Amino acid sequence: MEYLIHLAILIGIYGILGLSLNLVVGYTGLLSITHAAFYGLGAYVTAILLTSFGANFFVALVAGMIITALVSLIIGATLSRFRGDYYALGSFGFNVIFYSIFLNWQELTRGPLGIPGIARPSLFGYSFSSSTSFLLLTLALLALVYACAHFISSSSFGRVLKAIREDEGAIQVFGYHSAYYKLTIFVIGAMMASVAGALFASYITFIDPSTFTLNESIFILAIIILGGLANNKGAVLGAACLILLPELLRFVGFPSDVAAQMRQLVYGLLLIILMLYRPQGLIGEYKL
Amino acid sequence: MDIIPQLIVNSIIAGAIYTLIALGFNLIYGTVKFFDLGYGALATVGGYSVFLFYKELGFNLYLSVLIALLITGLIGVLLNWCIYEPLRRRKASSMVLLVASLGVLTMLQAIIAILFTSQFQTLTRNSGVQRVFEINGAVITGTQTIILVTGLLIMAGLALLLHYTRFGKEIRAISDDEEVAKIVGINTSYVVSGVFFIGSAIAGFAGALIGFDTGIEPTMGLSLLLKGVIAAIIGGVGNVYGGVLGAFLLGFVENFGIWQISGEWKDAIAFALLLIFLLFRPQGIFKR
Repeated sequence: MEYLIHLAILIGIYGILGLSLNLVVGYTGLLSITHAAFYGLGAYVTAILLTSFGANFFVALVAGMIITALVSLIIGATLSRFRGDYYALGSFGFNVIFYSIFLNWQELTRGPLGIPGIARPSLFGYSFSSSTSFLLLTLALLALVYACAHFISSSSFGRVLKAIREDEGAIQVFGYHSAYYKLTIFVIGAMMASVAGALFASYITFIDPSTFTLNESIFILAIIILGGLANNKGAVLGAACLILLPELLRFVGFPSDVAAQMRQLVYGLLLIILMLYRPQGLIGEYKL
Repeated sequence: MDIIPQLIVNSIIAGAIYTLIALGFNLIYGTVKFFDLGYGALATVGGYSVFLFYKELGFNLYLSVLIALLITGLIGVLLNWCIYEPLRRRKASSMVLLVASLGVLTMLQAIIAILFTSQFQTLTRNSGVQRVFEINGAVITGTQTIILVTGLLIMAGLALLLHYTRFGKEIRAISDDEEVAKIVGINTSYVVSGVFFIGSAIAGFAGALIGFDTGIEPTMGLSLLLKGVIAAIIGGVGNVYGGVLGAFLLGFVENFGIWQISGEWKDAIAFALLLIFLLFRPQGIFKR
């Protein structure tokens, strides 16, 4: 039972990541491969505020979102000058730079040693220390993020985003300042990712840089491509599939090192097969 | 002790390796017009093929390198047949191809890690002292001289191939306009296969050289690829000679950068250089 709750929490965290990246990749058509950087930023801000300053989790969560918003504003402004392939490559670069910062700014992040002993959240004297209560918190935040994503994608703002994806030149002719829309959605997506990071840090109670590599960004991308681009349900479905699928491998009984590689193998193969036979994913509304 | 001569030598050697990667990458990009990320994994395949035949099975050095080149070349062709060619025939966007090649990269890395473990390995049989030359206070090993010489040879060979053979002219025709090339009776799928074979074999060769110089590990492909791509973009994507200049520029910036800052920031420096170029001179040094 404990194991099932663990999986459900992970699905919740990756569901938030999928939903947020889907706004950027699925709705706006910007192939961003730097989501793990914002996920990591949220996690590190939370971890540092909780361990060094004894701040409340929810204060740290909001602080993480604000800091991520500021950072992603700068990154988004840089990236919004690129298109297509170059956008993807530029975002790649930011992920590598962030990973270097997590790894090498040792005074702040303790480098490869990571930050241990991150407290579980508590609110008005109630501590979310049991798995069940943490699951409820995760689900509540997932529902909140889902509601935001749904609101954005069905609003007039969301329609402009889709129009940018289909034909950026045409929407500019109608007087929409597309760079402003692209930047806004990028910042919103990054802030949501930092929520997932905060949850992850306080759930695992330990973070280190190896969680926030390029591979993690590719994994999040695989989630939304599998689930379906430009579909909020698809993002959560994709997270559920990709978290549960490798768990099946666990029962086959590979040693843990091989199992981790098998998981990567499955993700890679999945991306290839999806691109070849079903580029819109399971329930997607948009093909890359 | 003066460190400058050593830094210059290191920069040139790094530049030679990046040149090899950038050459093959540019060759493939120029012909098929998408960022082939799976290309990085082929360098790893090359390194590990030499490891298998030379160190594990005890083959002759030249024979094992030759076999490694054949293997990487054939894998490149196979990937093109099974994945890229069908996608290109369907007129898939370059983003689809990018994601598919990302899948290839993840998959190949995982397969290698399963077969050979993720340990760091060296290729040299006798781990004793290497032959070392000294120029003006800078130390250069025998392997590094071979890297330099073969790098220049391959560069020259590729230039000759592209300009003076029928095959080279066909490659250039396809990179100018594939449709027209087809109309005038060039067997494009045959030429593209050839390009994949040559490009992949160059990557495999670079992987083997690095294996002899420092060592190999399953994840080396990604960082190598990124350096190659950065070099290619700095020099001007699709421009074979620009890639060479970009590679040496990158080698110098990186090595002098870590002299001033510190070794762990190498990747971040490389990407910062890329971002500066993308922002201020996106067409690269040489415009195609």
